[in-house]
Amino acid sequence: MTMNVNANEDVIVCKDVHLWYGEFEALRGVSLTVKRGDVIVILGPSGSGKSTFIRSINRLEEHGAGEIVVKGIPLTHDVRDIAEIRREVGMVFQQFNLFPHLTVMENITLAPINVRKWSREKAEETAMKWLTRVGIPEQAHKYPGQLSGGQQQRVAIARTLAMEPEVLLFDEPTSALDPEMVKEVLDVMSDLAKEGYTILAVTHEMGFARGVADRIVFMDYGEILESDHPDEFFDNPKHPRLKLFLSQILHH
Amino acid sequence: MTAITESMTQKLNAAFEGRINWRYFLQDNVTGSWYLAVWVVVLAAATVAYTINQMNVAPLTTIIILILWLVGLGFAIANGLFKKRTAIGSWLKTNLLGSVSNAILSLLLVLILAAAVRGIWSWAVTNATFDPELTKPEFRNPDGATWGVIPGAWELLMVGRLDREALPRVQMALGYIVVLGVISIGANVAGYLKKIRPLRSILLGLWAITPIIVYILLAGVSAEGDFINSKTLLIGEAVVVGLFLLLWWQRTVKFSVVNLVIWAAAWPVAYLIWRAIGKSEMFPPINVATWGGLMLTIIIAVSVIILSFPLGMVLALGRRSEIRGIPGWLLWPVAAILALWGLFVSTPSILGDIRNQADYVLAFWPILILGFAYLLQKMFQGNVVAAASTTFIEVIRGAPLITLLFMAIIMAPFFLSEGATLENVWAVIIGYSLFSSAYMAENIRGGLQALPKGQFEAADSLGLNTFQKMRFIILPQALRIVIPAIVGQFIGSFKSSSLVAIVGLFELLGMVAVIVSNPQWLGLRKELFVFAGVIYFIGSAVMSWYSRRLEAQLGVGER
Repeated sequence: MTMNVNANEDVIVCKDVHLWYGEFEALRGVSLTVKRGDVIVILGPSGSGKSTFIRSINRLEEHGAGEIVVKGIPLTHDVRDIAEIRREVGMVFQQFNLFPHLTVMENITLAPINVRKWSREKAEETAMKWLTRVGIPEQAHKYPGQLSGGQQQRVAIARTLAMEPEVLLFDEPTSALDPEMVKEVLDVMSDLAKEGYTILAVTHEMGFARGVADRIVFMDYGEILESDHPDEFFDNPKHPRLKLFLSQILHH
Repeated sequence: MTAITESMTQKLNAAFEGRINWRYFLQDNVTGSWYLAVWVVVLAAATVAYTINQMNVAPLTTIIILILWLVGLGFAIANGLFKKRTAIGSWLKTNLLGSVSNAILSLLLVLILAAAVRGIWSWAVTNATFDPELTKPEFRNPDGATWGVIPGAWELLMVGRLDREALPRVQMALGYIVVLGVISIGANVAGYLKKIRPLRSILLGLWAITPIIVYILLAGVSAEGDFINSKTLLIGEAVVVGLFLLLWWQRTVKFSVVNLVIWAAAWPVAYLIWRAIGKSEMFPPINVATWGGLMLTIIIAVSVIILSFPLGMVLALGRRSEIRGIPGWLLWPVAAILALWGLFVSTPSILGDIRNQADYVLAFWPILILGFAYLLQKMFQGNVVAAASTTFIEVIRGAPLITLLFMAIIMAPFFLSEGATLENVWAVIIGYSLFSSAYMAENIRGGLQALPKGQFEAADSLGLNTFQKMRFIILPQALRIVIPAIVGQFIGSFKSSSLVAIVGLFELLGMVAVIVSNPQWLGLRKELFVFAGVIYFIGSAVMSWYSRRLEAQLGVGER
């Protein structure tokens, strides 16, 4: 990958981001800077605002106050800026969200052909490359409904990668999977992390967090309470709520 | 009593070596509850009475039915009692003779059906006349149909009062559609559509210009005026080029010199062809007010179906639009200025010329502007598109079709410039399409609502724009979900087109009313209504058959 040319560049800068659902304040001043190639895992109890936060980075949620800048482009109401950012930021969902009426190949090539304006041949070539990378080139002409959950999620990852984004957002990508399929998806994610993609992942997979992340961020009540290197994060938690959270998930 | 039944069931059980438990059999079929027992007894009594009655009316048929019934009963009993499973026995047991009451009911219904068929047959065939010459009242048989009225009034039924000299043009239009239809279906069945790419485009193109061709044939092109009207030419050209630029901006078409030239040339060429057809007087204008019969039914139904679908789609998307609303700081001052302006300009003039008490209230209408602004802000957060779509849909759905048809005809002149006129046919088609589109919009909205939010989010996160998202992801799935509802509405539009008779357009049923008041065919209602009913049934059945086929075809990749 030729992505590490300017490894220290800030890819995502969030400053004091607030987000309201009606009266409810889901994010209360989140600030986070992500450098190129960073792999950041966001942990937190449910309802802590971690999914909301990464969804606001590609404008699936609209933040109410504060600033989000992706690759130097500030996220505003301007649809052209939003479109530009969405081209650079890929997202993988908990429920895969594949398009059930299109084949795997069509799922993957749709955006490159229509958004990147690639020729069909180029798009299909790239799609096969990514399908091979995630290990399921033979499924290209099936429909999503014919695949297992793990395969569907790998197709979703291939679909995201085919747009050649620089940043990948993972929103609990393994939570909807049967246990025996979690590993195949985590393996793909680890490979991508090693290749230098900038990754923000919301996940409950502690092994992945510890082994792959450069930094772990703990969120609760819409705030970032702690942000640290994995070893320090797990072995020496400082915030009392993080201590409670870790004790709840690690000892049972 | 109990002792007797007890010993009887014991004996019966013994006789059949326990292959069937008579006690349970009786309990399941007759004595299980008092209302079951009453039902079986009443049913049996009615069946016996009706069978005796039918024996007198039509002994032969009744005896045959009875014998068949007994034989069937034998098969079903053999199936249950002696474990002799025969295909026919199993079928009879599941479908007709499952229980005692079902067996009796089957007999009764078959007898009733036979009587009904006999009656219809004797009216429609045995006692009927088919000769168009024999339709006058003095030749008629009161117990039989006079089918001669249908060939006799055939042209009226098909095209109404259309000038008979224009009949060849109707046949040409029909021929064009039939030939195109046969070629399309044939090519599809034979698999040529997938093999030969251009064929598909050519056929689609021909279908796309079908409405224009049918219009030229059935309405004609006027030869009046200069060969080229430069104003029309220039305005049309501006619209076409503007559309091209819009599509290019939306990235639906690619920008290239060739493309631009093709688009720019399209309008002048079409316009010249149009004028040439007009000047050649090959297809002189036909008065559309003379259209009638089945032709008018089909024209109205097809126009309404074709127009209401895209219109309904736009309304459905409009109602769900999430565009940024007009913010309060802009809306309120504008509304206030408009209201004040109205109060200072309009109100004094109305108050100065009071005709009745109501005018004192009406004079203050500008205050309503503030009310609308409040509703827009409160209900739609200032989203004008959603507000307009919702208001349109709800207002249209709140009015009966007949009201709208009258309004279309009466109100149309108010929307036209001085001197222009709109034929009632067009006014009715427009009004009916608007009516239908409101319902269509709600059907389509149902499909949009049924899609998981994740589909929208995935399309967004891939960077598809709104148009692409709708075109490739949302609409294909949403429309598939609502095919039954949409086709249901198409069928409704087809049949309800008979309501236009009320505003003086003589479509099929309107024509039937005209024909039965003709002295020659006076009172031949049954024959004509049966005929019209059969035509409506065929149309509806074809649509519903096609909808099921389409559903099955699009079912690929179902979750």
